[in-house]
Order: sequence, then C-alpha cells, then structure tokens
Amino acid sequence: MKTKQIALGAVLTALALALSVMENLFPVTAAIPVPGVKLGLANIVTLFALYELGAVSAVCILIARCSLGALFAGNFSALLFSLLGGITAMAVMIALKQCRRLSVYGVSIGGAAAHNIGQIVAAIITLGDTAVLGYLPILLAVSPITGAVTGLVTALLFRAMKNVHLSKGV
Amino acid sequence: MNSVPSPELRPRLWDALVVLAVALLAIGSAVWFYGGLGGHEDAAVVITHQGTEIARFPLSPISSTREVVIDGTYHLTVTSDGEQVWVSASDCPTQDCVRTGAISRPGQSIVCLPEQVIVKLVGTGDGPDLVIG
Repeated sequence: MKTKQIALGAVLTALALALSVMENLFPVTAAIPVPGVKLGLANIVTLFALYELGAVSAVCILIARCSLGALFAGNFSALLFSLLGGITAMAVMIALKQCRRLSVYGVSIGGAAAHNIGQIVAAIITLGDTAVLGYLPILLAVSPITGAVTGLVTALLFRAMKNVHLSKGV
Repeated sequence: MNSVPSPELRPRLWDALVVLAVALLAIGSAVWFYGGLGGHEDAAVVITHQGTEIARFPLSPISSTREVVIDGTYHLTVTSDGEQVWVSASDCPTQDCVRTGAISRPGQSIVCLPEQVIVKLVGTGDGPDLVIG
C-alpha cells in the first residue's frame, strides 16, 4: 500500500515537472514584463496532491519537483526561487484549506499570491537589494487571475476524477 | 467509502475574501513602496552587478548620453540620455530588463535576474541645488 503512494507521488512529480517545462514555452512575461509572472501550472499538481494525498505527500512532491527542476535546468539559483515560492504557497494553502467555507479557487488564489511573496524574498536574498520589492504589487495584482486559472483546472480535474479513487487502499 | 474529503469545486462568496485580501496587499505594498516615490528631484543612476556597485552617475538633463556595458554570463547595455535610463540591449534569456523600458524617477528600478543586475534611480536631493538664472 505504501508502494502505491510512492508510485503516485512519482507520477505527480513527473507531471508537475512536465507542466513547468510546458509553461516556459508560453511566457506570460511577454505580455506583462515583470520577472516572475507566470501561470503556475505546477500548482495544479500541488493543489491536487494536497487534497487527494494530504499535506505530507504534497510537501514531498513539491520538494522533489523543485530539486529535480533545478537539476534538469542546471540552474541552482533557481532552486531557491522555486523552493521559497513553493513552500510559502504550500503553507498558505494548507492553512486556507482548513477553512471549509473556501472552495478550491480561494485556496489556489491564496497560494498564487503567497508564491509571489516567497519568490520576492528569494530575489531579495539573491540580489541583496530590496529594489525588487517594487514588483510585488504587480505580482500580487496578477495572482488572483493566475490563481483562478489553476483553480479552475484543478476543479475540472476533481470533477473528471469524481469516480476514481486514487488513494483508495493507500 | 470515500474517505477523502472532496474540495468544494464551485467558487464561493468566501473566495472573494481571499481576492480582497490579496488586492489589499497589492495596494498596500504599492503605496508602501511607491508612495514615497520622488517627483522630479535630482536623481542618480546606480548600477549593481552581483551585489557590487559598478556605476553611479547623476541623471540630469545637461549630461550627455551615456552607456554602461555589463559583461558576465550575459551582456547588458544600460543607456542613459540624461532624462531617463533603460536597458537598451541584453542577451539574457528572459529579456524582462529590456521589456521593463525606461525609468526616470527616483525609487524606480530595472532588474535582470539572470545576470543579477539592478539599475536603480536614487534621489540625491529635494530639488536643484544650483539654479542658474
């Protein structure tokens, strides 16, 4: 039963990595010239894992995704960005998920905003300068839109999988 | 038998609270960061590359066009015409620095993350310190 959970985690990690790569093919920054603006498609996997497998598995998948992503890209400064963004987003989503009045959209939007805050912190650490804080208002303003998009995809995913119980027997 | 609690899949009114909170944070951070943004007081261009200041010169209408070339993994050309400053060329993969365009007021900045370059405008005073009339 443990094996199934590991296999499921591996599949979701691979999916998140594929989504990250795919996302780079359609840079949102072409429309909004602010470093860090992106759809955050990998967050679909995080959100799905969080609801379907629980927080512990979701955090494991997140860390595996960030580490492998940086390894494949050969870019270790990107690791700090993705980890800080991802972990901040995860913390906020775990907290928001506790609130039963929120739908998957609210959780996703909160996560998107938190991701941007985490990445700005990473940028401040990397650059050693607070000038990047100037991007925060724009990143935050965009996050309800990108968060709603990933929330919508996640909602569609859950609807499509209504009768599939992935974690049954896990 | 379904033990996994399925999330609410339709947006609820409460989700608007999250959006509101994010919007307030965006406005708050904008006011906090840009609220003190200088007007047209004297400014200096400060360029840092990987944490080290490599150039600092005044941005004043009497100064002539100036170019600073940054050589690292990528190569950036920062141009100033006395009124404003911008990254005129870069071979970095993201091109965000070039797309940011020109900045002209103290407090504004251009950032190139791949090469870790910051072009910043800092205020040097509250107004002209020399008026020739």
